[in-house]
Amino acid sequence: MTLRVLPACLLAAALCSALAVVYSSHVVRELYSKQQSVEYQQWALQEDYSRLLLEHSTLASPHRIISIAQDDLAMQPPQLSVHRLVQFQGGQQR
Amino acid sequence: MNRSRVGVSKPALWRLVFVAFCLFVLSGLLISRLVVLQVIDRDRGVGFLQQQGALRSVRTAEIPAYRGLVTDRRGQPLAVSTPVVSIWANPQQLRDSADVVQLATTMGQTPEALAERINLYSDKQFMYLARHQTPNQARAILDLGIPGVRGEREYRRFYPAGEVVSQLVGLTNVDGEGIAGVELAYNEWLRGQTGKKRYLKDLHGDAIRNIGVIEQARSGKSLALSIDLRLQYLQHRVLQRAMVETGAAAGAAVTLDARTGEILAMTNHPVFNPNSREGFDYAATRNRVVTDVFEPGSTMKPLTLVAALESGEYTIESLIDTSPGRVRVGRKVLPDPRNYGEISVSRVIEKSSQVGVTKMAQQMGHEPILEVFQRFGLGEPSSIGFPGERSGVLPNRQRWSDIEKVTLAFGYGLTATPLQLAHAYAVFANEGSQVPLTLLKRTDGESLPTRQVISPEIAGQVLEVLNRVTGSEGTAQKARVEGFRVGGKTGTVHKVGDAGYLDDKYVALFVGVAPIEDPRFVTAVVVDQPKGDNYGGGAAAAPIYSAITDGVLRLHNALPAESHEARQLVGLGGGA
Repeated sequence: MTLRVLPACLLAAALCSALAVVYSSHVVRELYSKQQSVEYQQWALQEDYSRLLLEHSTLASPHRIISIAQDDLAMQPPQLSVHRLVQFQGGQQR
Repeated sequence: MNRSRVGVSKPALWRLVFVAFCLFVLSGLLISRLVVLQVIDRDRGVGFLQQQGALRSVRTAEIPAYRGLVTDRRGQPLAVSTPVVSIWANPQQLRDSADVVQLATTMGQTPEALAERINLYSDKQFMYLARHQTPNQARAILDLGIPGVRGEREYRRFYPAGEVVSQLVGLTNVDGEGIAGVELAYNEWLRGQTGKKRYLKDLHGDAIRNIGVIEQARSGKSLALSIDLRLQYLQHRVLQRAMVETGAAAGAAVTLDARTGEILAMTNHPVFNPNSREGFDYAATRNRVVTDVFEPGSTMKPLTLVAALESGEYTIESLIDTSPGRVRVGRKVLPDPRNYGEISVSRVIEKSSQVGVTKMAQQMGHEPILEVFQRFGLGEPSSIGFPGERSGVLPNRQRWSDIEKVTLAFGYGLTATPLQLAHAYAVFANEGSQVPLTLLKRTDGESLPTRQVISPEIAGQVLEVLNRVTGSEGTAQKARVEGFRVGGKTGTVHKVGDAGYLDDKYVALFVGVAPIEDPRFVTAVVVDQPKGDNYGGGAAAAPIYSAITDGVLRLHNALPAESHEARQLVGLGGGA
């Protein structure tokens, strides 16, 4: 009896292990492609981020602000005579 | 035939046993060899074979690391890394390919030029077709799907503030390593660690499977400088305009916060564009504020005044007779512009009188003056660790001639950088103590290793004299800032040429402190070879100081002099 059961068991175990190998390599492939897409996403986000940083600093550059303030909005630094100092309650002033 | 058929049993069995034995021995040999290869001598066995296999199919690739951001003290980016793609190719595969024409047109080159370049590398397996392409450009090339053409991810450095901070922030090379300025000084901090990954490749060199990451890429850390970009821009604009007006060959300016030792702005002329290497002028990359030394001239007179006050023989109101407006030292005659007669020590500095200072120096001797210079940090490198920084030279000789003893008192015979000058004047602005300089933003409440250089009383007296220099009798009326009390000292130095001092080439200097009531900001300005008649420190450098300080005080909401007076009248005291 045992002589017949043992090979059957071994065969079943071998089959299971083979299927497990197939499954795990499938999972690996899946995870790998996921990692690839996430990596790509990271890359794209970094690309966006640094582009936005550059755009932001171009828009906020002192050069641009001064030319808009002076040329487009006709602003000028206030004369000292029109300065008014405000005293805070605590007496601390900056 | 018959015999064999008759005696079939005996010899046949013997042969069978023999053959079986031989086969058994052979298989035993094979098995033992297998055991040797697989178990005992793995290095020459299975290890060797695996290695040979790996050599043909496993490759390691670098994972680029993100280089840290450099920002100003308010978080404005000064250097940013952006992802780019470098296109490379295997020339062997590309050499006879018909796709070269299509590739060249996409890349914007002529097919002939590209074919020629490919030919140049025909015995290699790798060549760059185009480095640092924007992701969109690269996609256009890679989407052609030409075999042997591949992209590699890299980072490229951009400098949003461009030439305004170019010498300070410095540069990286094409591989992302710092080669100048802050990029070089803090390279280790900014750089990050390149990672490694392993992958399997096929016959054509395409990656078919990732095996794993050996080393994760670590991003570089970001760095906040002490620079205020608004101030830096203002200083840059003022300096560039002044360079055009004075026709000077070069110029430099630096502004410090004397209380924290932070460098708030640091600009130079000429400038370069760090975002483009076309028409690159190597000399323009020099950060003159720290790399160029010159004789500080009359800007050293306030330090001589410190020596005089410390000797106890003088107060700022002591009288010195400067008539007849010139003094003979050895074979040389040192003149004043005119005969000032008997004037106070304060007036000697205001007028920058050579005769007055000479008399004080002769009275004191050179040792105390030299000692004061040393105490103020001249002749020593600052603590910022900037690449190429120079420390200047203080004379250290056994024998001093009479003229050398005297000229030391008005700033000849020693050299200093603009940064050292500003740092020396910071002593006056910080109640006699000096804080080590830094290019990095200090955190609030950081304990500062201050060093008391002179007594607060003497610092206050010198400050008062410096303020008078910008007064109606002084040499630096053009340094005044409307609404504020400022102080400083001019300097006009003959440049040194092959045959000693040049008669017609000058360096104009101004170092100043503001505001006098609540001193904090020190600015040093150097104008190298101003043209025309306005070559002096009071004419060429002082107006630059005035324009810069006007902006500094406005940006920091400093209290105007008027309101200081008003507050003192109502008994609120000065400290805000």
